[in-house]
Amino acid sequence: MIGAREASGIVTLAWRGLRRRPTRTGLVIAGIAVAIFLVCTVDAMSSGVKRATRAAAGETALVVYRQNRFCPFTSQLPQSYEQDIRNIPGVSTVTPVKIVVSNCRASLDVVTFRGVPAEDFARDHATETSPEAMKAWLSRSDAALLGPELAARRRLVGGDRFTAAGVDAFVAGVIESDTPQDQSSAFVHLSFLQEQLKRGGTGTVVTQFDVRVTDPARLEEVATAIDAHFAADQSPTTTRAETAHVARAATDVIALVGFAELLGLAGLAAVFALVANAIVLSMRSREREVSILQTLGFTRLHLALLVVTEAVLLGGIGGVIGALASYFTIAFVRTAMTMEGVSIAVPPSAFIAVLGVGLAMALSLAAGIVPAIIASRQSIVAGFRS
Amino acid sequence: MATVEPIIRCSSLEKHYERGGETVRVLEKLDLTITRGQFVALMGPSGSGKTTLLNLLAGIDRPTAGGLVVDGQDITTLSRAALAHWRARSVGYIFQLYHLVPVLTAYENVELPLYVHNISRRERHRRVCEALESVSISDRHAHYPSQLSGGQEQRVAIARAIVTQPSLLLADEPTGDLDRASAAGIMELLGRLHREHGQTIVMVTHDPATAVHAQRTVHLDKGRLVEPHGVAS
Repeated sequence: MIGAREASGIVTLAWRGLRRRPTRTGLVIAGIAVAIFLVCTVDAMSSGVKRATRAAAGETALVVYRQNRFCPFTSQLPQSYEQDIRNIPGVSTVTPVKIVVSNCRASLDVVTFRGVPAEDFARDHATETSPEAMKAWLSRSDAALLGPELAARRRLVGGDRFTAAGVDAFVAGVIESDTPQDQSSAFVHLSFLQEQLKRGGTGTVVTQFDVRVTDPARLEEVATAIDAHFAADQSPTTTRAETAHVARAATDVIALVGFAELLGLAGLAAVFALVANAIVLSMRSREREVSILQTLGFTRLHLALLVVTEAVLLGGIGGVIGALASYFTIAFVRTAMTMEGVSIAVPPSAFIAVLGVGLAMALSLAAGIVPAIIASRQSIVAGFRS
Repeated sequence: MATVEPIIRCSSLEKHYERGGETVRVLEKLDLTITRGQFVALMGPSGSGKTTLLNLLAGIDRPTAGGLVVDGQDITTLSRAALAHWRARSVGYIFQLYHLVPVLTAYENVELPLYVHNISRRERHRRVCEALESVSISDRHAHYPSQLSGGQEQRVAIARAIVTQPSLLLADEPTGDLDRASAAGIMELLGRLHREHGQTIVMVTHDPATAVHAQRTVHLDKGRLVEPHGVAS
């Protein structure tokens, strides 16, 4: 084994070797950084999708949508269904919601207006909204409370006005919510949104009903009961758990993110290949240097450690740069993938950044092992002849 | 001062290579004893086995047969790791082409062998400064090898060889790549190390003018010792 001072000396030597070959080191680090940027960004998108679509054990939220309709513009349900749904056993609350989106297709910058009854919203979101913002929202019929991602993306604060999808609203404030569907939403008064649009009969048509059940175990039972109740009506419904509703709406995005995950894996393979190639080429051009070190008393272990340390330093530095670039890009751009009125936020994640750095270092370590073994087994005399 | 204690004892030392299905006998039944504190020149024509013998003495190559005890250690029986540790402690090696690491400064090149010694950074610094001082190259400590003349590079290489205070200093044609003035300076330096510190030095050279600095000259021809009895004169 080797002592702490020897290990520290080897790390110093490895660092000097990298620093004094700036072109090679810079190119390898840049390559790793780009690959890890890709990996972390794809992973952030993937984690956003999972967060929005994975069913939680205690899930109590249902979405009642018009049967065989997949877009907020075509899902039209009579607002009068509210009372019928409220009477179904197991239902806790029912909120009629009118949804208007600035773009019905998949996009990275969509504003989703959610028209909700004022009293229902004030009850459900009291803890997520400051008293001043809630007061301003309740006092103005054209007021909107914005989800945090939307406010950050559009740089909007209380007192601003903004227009999207033909709706002009006053910003009463920003809600503090972790719920994925709240992130890119602008909550407005239901009657205001219905008036603004003049579609489907003022005050009578909504896009969907957000339903809460009393017991998570009864989620499926309540959904079935709602759909059965309206099956023979002029506007039959399809009721799903909220996460399943998002997953259905986001099918295309999930497929795209799944493909992007393959790109992420390719990025990881690129890190491995890049470091392995750089280290192999480096050691091939340094056979004499290895022989010098062996002559000076460096053991196989010293040499292997030197090579592996160089690889891990390359991976670590490239990984940190790539992961930080990804984190701050996501944090700055504040992207949310929205389609058919449902939003999937892509949040910056410190965990993913740390994971990216760890992956880069682990792959670099693995990539350095074979060159390390080759270097440590080199014959001294043969190295001098090279 | 030199003592009669042997530092190198080769007995029936042999080194053979297989090349193209043929056995090349580089060293044949070589018996040689060198006492501690001696300055020995190894001379002989090209292919006589001088550098091979030096490599065997340094433990960077292994003999095919025979015994080799250096500084009290039978190095033919050591494992690869033990041999590396032994080299780090006991041997300083000076190459004809200096073999400095190009991306390290003179100071860092001299510091290199100390990385495998479990000593503090302060002690490392003290020893490097002392070694650089003793070869009169302190003022070039921050220069890279490409910024040094051949003579200066060889001085740095000598500092690197002596920084671990080895019991045996081996030099393979240390002036072979230098002009006359630089060569004279290097030989003066090796002579001083021998005189002032009683350093045992074994030096390979082609040049009789260089060999005169040594106390004793050993001649090799076709892998055999030409010097009568191979004992100190």
